[in-house]
Amino acid sequence: MKGIQTGDADALSELYDRYNGILKALILRVIHNEAEADDLLQEIFMEIWNQAKNFSAQKGKPLGWMVTLARRRAIDGLRKKQAYARAEERLKNETEQQPDAWVHNATEEEIVLSDTRLLIRKVISGLPPAQQQAIDLAFFRGMSQREIAAKTNTPLGTVKTRLELGLKKIYDGLKDLRDEL
Amino acid sequence: MNFERFQNQSRLYVIGALEPEELEQFEKARKKFGKKAEDFITKCYALHEAFALSLRPAKSSAAIKERLMAMVKAKKES
Repeated sequence: MKGIQTGDADALSELYDRYNGILKALILRVIHNEAEADDLLQEIFMEIWNQAKNFSAQKGKPLGWMVTLARRRAIDGLRKKQAYARAEERLKNETEQQPDAWVHNATEEEIVLSDTRLLIRKVISGLPPAQQQAIDLAFFRGMSQREIAAKTNTPLGTVKTRLELGLKKIYDGLKDLRDEL
Repeated sequence: MNFERFQNQSRLYVIGALEPEELEQFEKARKKFGKKAEDFITKCYALHEAFALSLRPAKSSAAIKERLMAMVKAKKES
C-alpha cells in the first residue's frame, strides 16, 4: 500500500495479482454476474489507486480496507442497476439447490484451500444454518435486519439474536487469526 | 449501554446491519467509550476479511488487469 500511496504502478500490479481473486469472489457473491463483476473489479482497483492516500495502517490491514470498499461498491452497484430482483431470483434458485451455498458452494475436491480459509470455513460452518443465513444476507446482500426478517418470515428480534450470536461466535472463533488478517 | 452490549452492536455495525434507531444509541456509546470503542470497532473489521477469505477465489479476465494498468498509466501521464 505504501508503494501505491507514492504512485507506484508496479505496486498496484502486485496488489492486483495478490488480491483480485478474493475481491472478484466477493463481488460475484453479491451480484452474481460475471461480466458485471469484472467491470466492478476494475473500477474497485481504480478506486484503490485513487483513494490509497486515505488508507491508514493504524485503522486496519490493507485487505480489510479493500474488502470493505469492494463490498460497498458491489452492494451499491447491485441496487443502482436494479438487478436486485434478478439476483434475488438467482439466489433463490441457488438456495433451493444448495441450502448452505455460502459454506458449501463447491466440493472440497474442487477447492485448494489455504489453512486460513479452512479455519474460517470451519468456524462459519459450525454455526446453526439460521445464523449462517442471517449473516449471509446481511453481509453479502447488504440487507437490514428488517429486510432479513421479511425475507425469512422471522420475527425481527430473532433475526437480531441470530446475527449477534453468529457474529460473536465467528469473531471469537477467529481470535487467533485476527492479528494475522 | 454497557461495553459488552457495545461489542455486540459493533459487530453488527461493521457489516452495516444496525437499524437506524440502534445506530443512534451506538454512536452515543461509541463516544462514551472513546478509544476503547474505536479499537474494538477496528478489530471487528477483521470480520470483513474473514467473510471474503471464506470464499473460493474467482478468476478474472486478463483483459481487466490490462485495462486497469492502461488507465493508471494514462492518469499518471495526464
